[in-house]
Amino acid sequence: MSAYVRLELARALRNPVGMTMLTVFPLLLFLLWAKVLTVAPPAQAMVSMATYGAMGGAMFVGGAIAMERAGGWLRQLAVTPLPAHGYVTAKLLGAAAGVLPSILVVLAAGALLGGVRLPAGTWAALVPLIWAGVLPFAALGVAFGYTFRGQLASLAMMIVYFGLSVLGGLWVPVTSMPAGMRALAEYSPTYQVGSLGWRALEGEPPTGLSLAVLAGWTLVFVALALWRYRRAL
Amino acid sequence: MRNALELDDVRKRYGPVTALDGVDLTVAEGETVALLGPNGAGKSTLLAVALGLLPATSGRATLLGRPPADALRAGRVGVLPQEAGLLDDVRVRELVATVAAMYDRPPPLAATLRAAGVEDLAQRLVGRLSGGQRQRVRFALALAGGPGMLVLDEPTAGLDVDGRRALWHEVKRRAGTTVFATHYLAEADAYADRVVLLARGRVVADGPVDAIKALVGGGEVRFDRADVPEGADLARLRALPGVRGVHVEGGVSGGGAVALRTVDSDATLRALFAAFDDVRGVRVEGVDLESAFVSLTAGTEQTEGPRR
Repeated sequence: MSAYVRLELARALRNPVGMTMLTVFPLLLFLLWAKVLTVAPPAQAMVSMATYGAMGGAMFVGGAIAMERAGGWLRQLAVTPLPAHGYVTAKLLGAAAGVLPSILVVLAAGALLGGVRLPAGTWAALVPLIWAGVLPFAALGVAFGYTFRGQLASLAMMIVYFGLSVLGGLWVPVTSMPAGMRALAEYSPTYQVGSLGWRALEGEPPTGLSLAVLAGWTLVFVALALWRYRRAL
Repeated sequence: MRNALELDDVRKRYGPVTALDGVDLTVAEGETVALLGPNGAGKSTLLAVALGLLPATSGRATLLGRPPADALRAGRVGVLPQEAGLLDDVRVRELVATVAAMYDRPPPLAATLRAAGVEDLAQRLVGRLSGGQRQRVRFALALAGGPGMLVLDEPTAGLDVDGRRALWHEVKRRAGTTVFATHYLAEADAYADRVVLLARGRVVADGPVDAIKALVGGGEVRFDRADVPEGADLARLRALPGVRGVHVEGGVSGGGAVALRTVDSDATLRALFAAFDDVRGVRVEGVDLESAFVSLTAGTEQTEGPRR
């Protein structure tokens, strides 16, 4: 299985289309938000876009699973000694590795181009907070990957991805949303993942509500993933 | 000698469709067995059940003395599945090496690449390969773990003449147990010790290639007629001495081409000339595997209607 994990790590880190989508896109959006439109403070926009990009990287593990299922690769793997859970584990580790560049690139852009100045401890805390925060979305991706076939999975995920990103205030801060939408937003996984980083900017730890909401969504996503995965076997 | 594969009264139903209808099959270690049959005969279903990829509706499958899924997990069997895919964004060498590393004692990578004829492709991206080249890579994946037994489902699909020859050369060279499904009769004839003929989910013949040919008798008498024989004519043809089967085909100009399967072509010919005065272009042929195949998979001893 370790050989398959190595292959997945290599594929995750040299996938030019995926890397462009998950680093260049959030990077450009960050520059647009912070430098051109100046609708959000640069530090906040930086955290939002790093979270947004990383979340995409985590979710799109499902797109890869759906494509490999449709292409028959899983039928090939089924006749090797690799167990099915070994395949999912390798995909998740690959996705976890593929998420790091989007975080690092956007944070680097914040420091170098956006003029964001933070204490060293805060920079050091942001990376693991965002990284760990988006991992539940990989479970959601797995659920999509075992539900939809081929391109359909990517399309469905794109809709959920943008929907959750907007609702969670990663694009436009929730403070500028109408009250009803804002109440809803605060129970979204995306808002609570974002708030891990936003609060870290103020030097504050995550709130109990954040952790509770995230834990709840993680349970939902993992249960969904397990259900879809078992049905697909 | 131990049995590599045992199927005991295996049945598989998909809703109302019966794909396997009580298959008994034993493959001894070291044997090369061809599973032959028309499309939809149940070849792939049989292999999938034998490998534990599909659960049987009833009956039992044993692979290398254990439940099939266990034998696969233990890396004892190299499989070339039908309609499986590859990863496109990796190099051939990388893919074969990764699969080889899933097994306990894989042979050297270079040996596997050479055996499957993909040495020259080792640095190529899988996604840029032609259909035949991909098929060779899939063969390399079947060989990657150095298994004692190979199960190949339509292994030469998409391969050119050289590719086929190389694949069979390697299968012969290994001298392990091999079970392969094919609809190429020549392949079964040339490379299998034994042929298992499958039709509509049943084994209709099982034995050495020569025995299968003998099953359908000694030869075939073919001739042309001005009219397509029907009704009484057909009954008279069937009643000729030695005749075991009649095939009729419409000719181009309203005439008919007839083939009589016979166990005694001399007696059949004498009676044929005596009974019919309008037969032309008579020729006698030995039965090849193709004829045996058509005759046996048609089920009954008499077959009529257009040949495909």
